[in-house]
Amino acid sequence: MRCHRCKAPANVEIRRSRTAYCARCYPDWFRQQVQERIDHERMFRRDQRVLVAVSGGKDSLALWHVLLKQGYQADGMYIRLGIGDYSRRSQEKSEAFAAARGLTLHQVDLKDDHGFAVPDLLDTRSGKPCAACGTVKRYHFNKVAADLGYDVVATGHNLDDEAATLFGNVVHWNTDYLGRQGPVLESTHPKLVRKVKPLYRLGERETAAYSIIERIDYILEECPMAKGAKSLAYKDVLNTLEEEQPGAKYRFLVGFLKEGRAAVRTGGFDQASDLRECTRCGQPTTTDLCAYCRMSDRGRQKAAAKAARYGRQPAAEPDE
Amino acid sequence: MRVTILPAREVKEVDARTVADLLKALGLHRDAHLVVRGEDILTTDVRLTAADEVEVWPVISGGAA
Repeated sequence: MRCHRCKAPANVEIRRSRTAYCARCYPDWFRQQVQERIDHERMFRRDQRVLVAVSGGKDSLALWHVLLKQGYQADGMYIRLGIGDYSRRSQEKSEAFAAARGLTLHQVDLKDDHGFAVPDLLDTRSGKPCAACGTVKRYHFNKVAADLGYDVVATGHNLDDEAATLFGNVVHWNTDYLGRQGPVLESTHPKLVRKVKPLYRLGERETAAYSIIERIDYILEECPMAKGAKSLAYKDVLNTLEEEQPGAKYRFLVGFLKEGRAAVRTGGFDQASDLRECTRCGQPTTTDLCAYCRMSDRGRQKAAAKAARYGRQPAAEPDE
Repeated sequence: MRVTILPAREVKEVDARTVADLLKALGLHRDAHLVVRGEDILTTDVRLTAADEVEVWPVISGGAA
């Protein structure tokens, strides 16, 4: 295979478009793809402040790297989720990326600042904390962005993530979620910051290749709590289809965004409607007490019970 | 050839003529892995020899809500 641009031996093939690029041309192609999406979807401008949600993985670090290369004002934010060695290593990767480039990396420590960790949030039915972990991340990324005056939160969600989410929402016919899925989620409340996904048309194989070629040191291990997660099962199904039909994931997602979303859109809102402020923390919510506060109460109870059982001191109560 | 599968660095001896054959022999999806020789990512049509040493990098992350 030869590079689509310079005809040198290729390194990264893009099966859905039957093209390939060499290691010299690939990073430029990748950054152009991201830039084209930022511009086309009007995600943000260079005079705006972007907060990148950083996990230490390939997608978020590649996104941060691209935004800086493209001249955007992008700071990072990392949440210490308290998932043992995995969290420690992902924190190290995030901090090292920021330190090597003199970047600002905001951090929230769930255990120290809020009295619980993600392993305290296991769902009783699935035995997984993934859904609760998503709530934790959305809450804190939004809160820090709003408190510090960022214009937009950018996440590293890629084509595979978005196609898997879409697949899950179709399998379960979650029409409300289907109507809200998209690369830009507009603000619907003064405390709800706009959210964007600049990598949503790039596969995770492509973000991994970018990270390897640009020598971005990211955490390769999978989150130990995600083993058996439904999203991984959906990705496996979609990758089986992709083997036979290159481009199937892309057509599934992009076709939905172009054609299907309008048909299932239930309200004409982007993040949520009828928002008011949580009676405890003041963050936007559709109920009196927001999902995060209800969930963190349960997490703190679990953490305290664990501490009592194993003789450790419970973490301090947060001042939310 | 000697194949090291990340992140656990499990080592296997595999006979395969190309990168595509290698992934197939290992039962791995092409869209979920990258094959790296030295510092070079390899496209699936690259021919391999018994003397090659390659790494297989998984690219899937998950668990997001």
